[in-house]
Amino acid sequence: MASAQTPAVIMDNGTGLTKLGFAGNDSPSWVFPMAIATSVASSGNKPAAPTKPSFRASTTASSTSSISGGNLSTGINKRDMADLDFFIGDEALEAAKGPSYSLSYPIRHGQIENWDQMERFWETSIFKYLKCEPEDHYFLLTEPPLNPPENRENTAEIMFESFNCAGLYIAVQAVLALAASWTSSKVTDRSLTGTVIDSGDGVTHVIPVAEGYVIGSAIKNVPLAGRDITSFIQTMLRERGEKDTSLRTAEKIKQQFCYVCPDIVKEFNKFDSHPDMFAKYMVETVSQRKIEVDVGYERFLAPEIFFNPEIASSDFLTPLPTIVDQCIQASPIDVRKNLYKNIVLSGGSTMFKDFGRRLQRDLKGLVNERVHSSERRSGTKSSGVQVQVISHKRQKNAVWFGGSLLAQTGEFRGYCHTKRDYEEYGPNIVRSFSLFNAV
Amino acid sequence: MLQLEPQNPLIKESFTTVLDKEYAPISLDRIITDFDFTSYKISTPTSKTTILFSISIKCWKDLLNYGVLELVHSRYSQYPFITIDDRATQDPGYDLSLIVDLQAYHQVIDSVNVDELIEELSLLKRNCFAAPFLQAFNRYQDLSQNVKIDPNNLYGEDSQISSNEQVLKLDYRDAESIYIKPSHDRVTVIFSTIFSDEIDKVFSKVFLQEFSDARKRSIQKAPQVINSHNEVPLEIKHLVHDPDNKDKVYITFVLFPRHLNTEEHKWNSITHIQLFRSYFHYHIKIVKCYLHQRMRFRVNTFTKILNRARRDVDEEEMRAERKTASGRRFEQRV
Repeated sequence: MASAQTPAVIMDNGTGLTKLGFAGNDSPSWVFPMAIATSVASSGNKPAAPTKPSFRASTTASSTSSISGGNLSTGINKRDMADLDFFIGDEALEAAKGPSYSLSYPIRHGQIENWDQMERFWETSIFKYLKCEPEDHYFLLTEPPLNPPENRENTAEIMFESFNCAGLYIAVQAVLALAASWTSSKVTDRSLTGTVIDSGDGVTHVIPVAEGYVIGSAIKNVPLAGRDITSFIQTMLRERGEKDTSLRTAEKIKQQFCYVCPDIVKEFNKFDSHPDMFAKYMVETVSQRKIEVDVGYERFLAPEIFFNPEIASSDFLTPLPTIVDQCIQASPIDVRKNLYKNIVLSGGSTMFKDFGRRLQRDLKGLVNERVHSSERRSGTKSSGVQVQVISHKRQKNAVWFGGSLLAQTGEFRGYCHTKRDYEEYGPNIVRSFSLFNAV
Repeated sequence: MLQLEPQNPLIKESFTTVLDKEYAPISLDRIITDFDFTSYKISTPTSKTTILFSISIKCWKDLLNYGVLELVHSRYSQYPFITIDDRATQDPGYDLSLIVDLQAYHQVIDSVNVDELIEELSLLKRNCFAAPFLQAFNRYQDLSQNVKIDPNNLYGEDSQISSNEQVLKLDYRDAESIYIKPSHDRVTVIFSTIFSDEIDKVFSKVFLQEFSDARKRSIQKAPQVINSHNEVPLEIKHLVHDPDNKDKVYITFVLFPRHLNTEEHKWNSITHIQLFRSYFHYHIKIVKCYLHQRMRFRVNTFTKILNRARRDVDEEEMRAERKTASGRRFEQRV
């Protein structure tokens, strides 16, 4: 039913934020928390009460129809219409401040955990926020690497059976992030091979991708991400005894002032000799009063936790460049060169100034050392390994943007599974999608 | 709770930032869509302070016949800084453009009710769709003044004059249309829809039944809703080319004088009726979500019950001698 004009809908549901929008735009139309507020009365007693009595009833009456009948009636009374009473996104956070709603996040660690809530979340985001009829649009959804195929099937069931959407494509986030890097001038060949460093709010992943396929065995996780940087800044502010040390202030400071320095010691000296490096951040309180917060060494120390994790955490001590190196070394040998050549950044926590440059320098150091030692041992001359980290303007919503880029191409609809395919073959067709050819 | 707003929230948001006093002009290029194959584009092709806001509607040709341009002009020409481009000359593929000149806007910013303006802009789709409705409402007013009420016509049957009245037709989707028929004592609006899914069709029946039931029970002021699944309503029988199409569902709304007596009521009726199809589908889908939720819950309960049947096997039993189904013994190696 979708006409040629209607743009595809791109939905990138992450752990913390969800990004929604139409293909062809350069930024998502909506970015809001991946939260749903449900009425307390409905979700509270749902799983507990009605199961046990019905089980006992079945042992005595031993007829299945009587259980289901009894169970059904209690179910209706208990839950009633309250199930239709919910909010999503920012409205959910607002509603959860009151006593009658409870807040939950249906996605955990990138994977959908609560399908009931997710279905309702999709419903509202499609109809209320994007204002589109799913029957008229093609959809591009994203999934984390190593998402079980059952999750894909569940997603397809919801998209096709509840929403009758015209067509569906489920893409791996890392692959979309690679596609988004094509906008950078450094990228020449538009291949889908590269290493993606995806750092959001909760966790940082290093994902090698070869020809559009994720190398699952080599994926590495770093338990440091945006949230840890924010709390690091907050601690520094508290230790110094600033007047305002809220999480919000720390977050604003992170976004406005932080950058990555080439050398900490030199940077400390620079700060001490040039007092103008210290910045001031104005906090506007609710009562219209303005509080001034000094911003000092945390400007360069906070992002430094990626490169020297020991300053913030006690149990995780491997610097990010080493992790990237290990990750590429764990990949098949024939793609390693290309993985080093195309390291792509994605996610909000990679937005610090000079982040890419520092990573490239440190990684180059590691790689060159290895090359030299092998040259010494073998006595032959190596052709060298090119290390290149690509940062670009769309890093923040790279996954979404990559989706938008691919879904606006003419071939996109050919790659999708349509409602008719689904009805013909069943949910397991979404286990495989043909890959986008590099255009 | 499950209400769809007639405003487009994205347009509202865009213009709230753009029309802000402290807005720093940037170049824009945004595509936004709405229900029923409507799409908008907000862009700044010439300069950052000239915003081109274009709309494309599938049934634009029909709307043109019903005087959409006059309506748009009457709604938006009160703002001196908005120019209306009837043919969207700057945006090929779109039907109508509003050009908002921010520099001119900032000169008169104090005399403008900004909230109202933003509201009005985000209601562009509704305003376009209102044209045929308003035309029908006006026709109804003419008729109602000219036609004497027949005291013998107790059941409100169509009189001879009004049954020949022209029906306004709007092909707003691929194979679905809105028909509007004015008469001297009512305006009839008929939707024809097709369901791509058989299950949806069943839900629609239940749902529409609820409309008439609710009317009987409490909300007597609501317009009458008649729903016919296979039969073409008499009012539009002569207009339908494929009367035997079994997939089509016809839904008739009868708007009575009380829905049309004031300007406010009129617009209220238009707003709700033109959103009806989307609203209808939205609810069918949320009902499915609800049922799926119940089904998942039920499966979980059954799984739990089944799991209770599983026997706890203790260590001793594990080590004990066991037999296969055919009776052969085997020994477990630890």
